[in-house]
Amino acid sequence: MANNKKNKNKIVLMAGEKEFHYIALVIMILMMVFCIIPLILMATVSLSSEESLVRGYRFIPDKWSLDAYMFMWAKRATIFRAYGLTILVTVIGTIISLVMTSMFAYPLSRKDFKPRNVFAFILFFTMLFNGGMTASYMVWTRLFHIKDTLWAYLVPGALMNGMNVLLVRNYFNANIPYSIIEAARMDGAKDWTIYSKIMVPLSKPIMTTIGLFSALGYWNNWTAGIYYINNPKLYTIQVYLKKLMDSIQFLKTTDLSNEAVLLAQRNLPTESARMAVAIIALIPVLVVYPFIQKELIKGMVVGGVKG
Amino acid sequence: MSENKTKRSEFDDVLKEQAKLQRKEKFKNDFPLYMMMLPGMIYLVCNNYLPMFGILLAFKRINYATGIIKSPWVGLDNFEYLFKTKDAFVMIRNTLLYNAFWIILDLVLAVFIALCMNEIAQRKIAKVIQPIICFPSMVSAVILSFLVYAFLSQSYGYLNTVFFKDAPIAWYTTAKYWPFILTIVHIWQSAGQNSVIYMASIGGIDKSLYESARIDGATKFEQIRYITLPLLKPMIIMMLLLSIGRIFNSDFGLFYQVPLGNGMLYETTQTIDTFVYRALMVSNNVGQSSAASVFQAVIGFFLVMFSNLLVRKINPENSLF
Repeated sequence: MANNKKNKNKIVLMAGEKEFHYIALVIMILMMVFCIIPLILMATVSLSSEESLVRGYRFIPDKWSLDAYMFMWAKRATIFRAYGLTILVTVIGTIISLVMTSMFAYPLSRKDFKPRNVFAFILFFTMLFNGGMTASYMVWTRLFHIKDTLWAYLVPGALMNGMNVLLVRNYFNANIPYSIIEAARMDGAKDWTIYSKIMVPLSKPIMTTIGLFSALGYWNNWTAGIYYINNPKLYTIQVYLKKLMDSIQFLKTTDLSNEAVLLAQRNLPTESARMAVAIIALIPVLVVYPFIQKELIKGMVVGGVKG
Repeated sequence: MSENKTKRSEFDDVLKEQAKLQRKEKFKNDFPLYMMMLPGMIYLVCNNYLPMFGILLAFKRINYATGIIKSPWVGLDNFEYLFKTKDAFVMIRNTLLYNAFWIILDLVLAVFIALCMNEIAQRKIAKVIQPIICFPSMVSAVILSFLVYAFLSQSYGYLNTVFFKDAPIAWYTTAKYWPFILTIVHIWQSAGQNSVIYMASIGGIDKSLYESARIDGATKFEQIRYITLPLLKPMIIMMLLLSIGRIFNSDFGLFYQVPLGNGMLYETTQTIDTFVYRALMVSNNVGQSSAASVFQAVIGFFLVMFSNLLVRKINPENSLF
């Protein structure tokens, strides 16, 4: 790379090349700022004192304060419960989904397993056609009665999808030579052993990518909450946030001018506390993101090309 | 002669027996493989195949008192009612218009960002910029709605208290602003992510092409015009085709949660997905909800088939089948 740079300096820059470079730089910096700004506003609002918010949300508040976070600490029973539930759902869901996906992908990757084409088609057809949301809802609520249970977060539409199975199968096919499997079988290894001791350990990259997207999906899942959950005790942090927004809207439509009074009366989190809850829901993603962004971005490329 | 015949049939029997045994043996050998697929198969049946039969709901008048199975068949009544309403027109128009406009916009922006990123790829700051512009796609629609609310809230929002101090705008009750708001939010959330794929393809282009172009005196714009864009063309066409397959789908979170489910905004925020949800969960109209959802699923099926057939013609590797 250093060599490259030297070469670049030696070659006389074409007319406009320097300008082009700096314009691109400025555009990308602006783009970055555009992406960060809303998050900063949310953060500063959550750190503003309630009086200074009366004039409106600001990037730099008149008075900083931790009141919002104190308020949430007072309400910790509800919020921590939702938080714990989200973590539980995310961890369990991701594990089951990884196991299910890779176990389905392994036989599909075995060229000597004749019925694999039938199973591949069964899987594949689900990627082309679906019964629609209403039908799913009816099946899950009328047939399996998952309303107001934790299954509602874990199962519908989330555990396994055709795309991920195909990605794992392709990875198996492309990166694990069949000779390894054959050699293992000569040594008397059974399919379960081959799967758990060879296939899974050798496919860490794709498993990581899929696991991360699955975990993110579970962490961010709020639609399951609005379809299947009515019991406030079963709210995850995203559903809690969603309901919080609903109650604010409800109050607004009843009386616009007295919003603050009503909020106080109903003992709902105030302006800054509301943003603080959102920040708290976002923090795990923010903290983990720098470490996983490479895998995620790789996954976006792979997933994007494959539709 | 007859002896010969019986011998042959005996021989056949033995062969058949052997084949049977072999099959049995094979099944026994493969049994662990079947077991591995079992959880996935059960899941596919429950999650994907049973709902396909649920399509029949759209042809029934659901009566919970008598049960779904005993509810009367009504033919295409549900569809007729649905398409007689103005709702149907509005939601289909919105879904198609947003998608058509965003497919083009996304493409132009993604390629543009990828070109800019590629230009500064050697700089250290690029390693910071890329993760940051991709981050918004990690944010859930609920948190997104809080972010948007911080700007648009009538009494406290940043826009109203800073830019429209004298005449605050009722963002959440005025439909005409939402095409712009949703477009900006959509760009915020997906532009970075969309560009990643093109960045990868540009990164894969042979650098010597640019070197020789420069020696021949090609300017940056000419290099982009005559090298980068033509080489990106297959990828661009493929992504366009794949997005055509999803043109009847919309991002439920963006259209439902970001406008806070406000009824006054239906004119510009209702899409097929939000209608399906509202008809089912809010107005409790299973018939219309399932009619709309079946309509979406069936048309979606043909579009996905169509777009993949075209993709297969161009680049079989990227086709689903």
